[in-house]
Amino acid sequence: MEELVSKLKEAVISGEDTDARALVEEGLDGGMSPRDILERAMMPAMEDIGVRFSKGEAFIPELIVAAYAMEAGMEVLKPRMSGAGEGGGKVVLGTVAGDIHSIGKNLVRMCLEGAGFDVIDIGENKTTEQFVQAYKEHNPRILGLSALLSSTMLHMHDVILAVRAVDSDARIMVGGAPLTRDFADSIGATAYAQNAFEAAVIARRL
Amino acid sequence: MDGKERMLEAFALREADRVPVWEMAFNEESIIKLAAFFTDDLPPLKFAQQMTPEEKLKLIGALFTVIRELELDGISSISLMNTEPVGDNLVRDGWGRVLRVSEEGEATAVSGPVSGPADIKDIKPYHPEQSELLMLMAAKGSFGEEIAQVFVQPGPFRESWTFLGSMEKLLFYYIKNPDFVHALARLATDFILEVVDMAVELGADIIGLDGDLAFSQTTLMAPDHYYEYILPYHKEITERVHGHGKLIFKHSDGNMSPIMDGIVEAGFDGFHPVQPQCMDISEVKAKYGDRLTILGNIDCMHLLPFGTEQEVERSVRQTIGAAAPGGGYIISSSNSIHPGVKPENYIAMVKAARKYGSYPIDVEG
Repeated sequence: MEELVSKLKEAVISGEDTDARALVEEGLDGGMSPRDILERAMMPAMEDIGVRFSKGEAFIPELIVAAYAMEAGMEVLKPRMSGAGEGGGKVVLGTVAGDIHSIGKNLVRMCLEGAGFDVIDIGENKTTEQFVQAYKEHNPRILGLSALLSSTMLHMHDVILAVRAVDSDARIMVGGAPLTRDFADSIGATAYAQNAFEAAVIARRL
Repeated sequence: MDGKERMLEAFALREADRVPVWEMAFNEESIIKLAAFFTDDLPPLKFAQQMTPEEKLKLIGALFTVIRELELDGISSISLMNTEPVGDNLVRDGWGRVLRVSEEGEATAVSGPVSGPADIKDIKPYHPEQSELLMLMAAKGSFGEEIAQVFVQPGPFRESWTFLGSMEKLLFYYIKNPDFVHALARLATDFILEVVDMAVELGADIIGLDGDLAFSQTTLMAPDHYYEYILPYHKEITERVHGHGKLIFKHSDGNMSPIMDGIVEAGFDGFHPVQPQCMDISEVKAKYGDRLTILGNIDCMHLLPFGTEQEVERSVRQTIGAAAPGGGYIISSSNSIHPGVKPENYIAMVKAARKYGSYPIDVEG
């Protein structure tokens, strides 16, 4: 069992999607619970690559292949999970108005999907009204807002106010190159993540 | 000393009469807002890709007015590739890339002519047309040899990922299919070399190789991947430019520290823009100032959009103190003059550069 956990962790970290899928199947066949597989092997793999990323030992290509390997494993795990509590739940994700940049948001989406969330990506350049509409329609566990420009990140505040008017307990995560933790606090965001791995790890804890 | 001589002195890592002032890019809205300080003859506000040839000329005229009135030492041109509209704010270029145009910056590829390794053999290389370098021709015609002609062209990394329509896809293949990454880079580099030859023939003095390789924390790819997938192509391009007797710098936002040695090894003459949120210009000057001209560093993320004119002046003074002594520094914003920048702040930046930028420099960094 321990050997399988360590092999699966390694498969995710090195982005071996075929191995990850096979090892998840092997774990399930051997009697491991989906939660065990996720929490003992896959999430620690994600955290591990996040740490390597922060230390400059891993870069975006390594993140991407690891996220794909996570996703491959999750495809096997998900049908065996009992509910949203195990899977992570829904996240609505989008880039705010005036901003057409998608790369950061797409990396966050990959990591969240890899961490078991159902991500509804509403795309780029979305108005406050479109975020509110998507929130009402999908009733997500978390709303994620992205911006690459210092001029567009200001729209995040409007979105937070409008969504909280609909649901005062809405959990809203923000991220993007010009943002800081102080800025995120000042606009009333529930959480801020500095990178895509951190977003996935923090989202699991929210 | 004229603007061109001043820029070339900076590239020779020598002190000119004063620190040259130049900008890599202004976009439609910024050009129109700045030009409004000096003229009423302005085009309607829309994306260049959607303008008629007459409106494009008027926009170029407005840019020239800004450059002339602010006495900038160089002008940057880009290729205005022939495109056809294919949807709401979407255009398709000669390679078959679909680009989304935006008021906030450059057009971004949303899909490309290649979906993966299987169909790269079907791609039909596009060859640049002289008419696409209209902006450079007009700049040369208007300014002649008075100021430096900088031509900005996307580099092999950016061209490669736009063929796929997604940077994430290209970076995925960095690990999964090295041959495919090289095939895309080959295609991109052959095209870039054609564009560079044409730009030099039309009067470019300096080539700027665009395309970010880093983000705020570090480089997008590991240094080993830069050395394997990008540096050999950068070398081909710098050698071609130097063969023409011209100069070339690399532009990349973000923290480029992990691959700065590679930028020197690839043969670049300069580096832009030393983004102040993630690189320290004093450190870059100390480590690379004897081999690379440094361009940029005045913060356009927070300072130029939201700061006061006094704060802008203070930042210019400090940056000149840190980077200009000994020569080899060209002042510009840390990326471009985008619609968020207050035009008054940009004008304050240029004025402060004149106030503190006379050699010998007597302000401290």
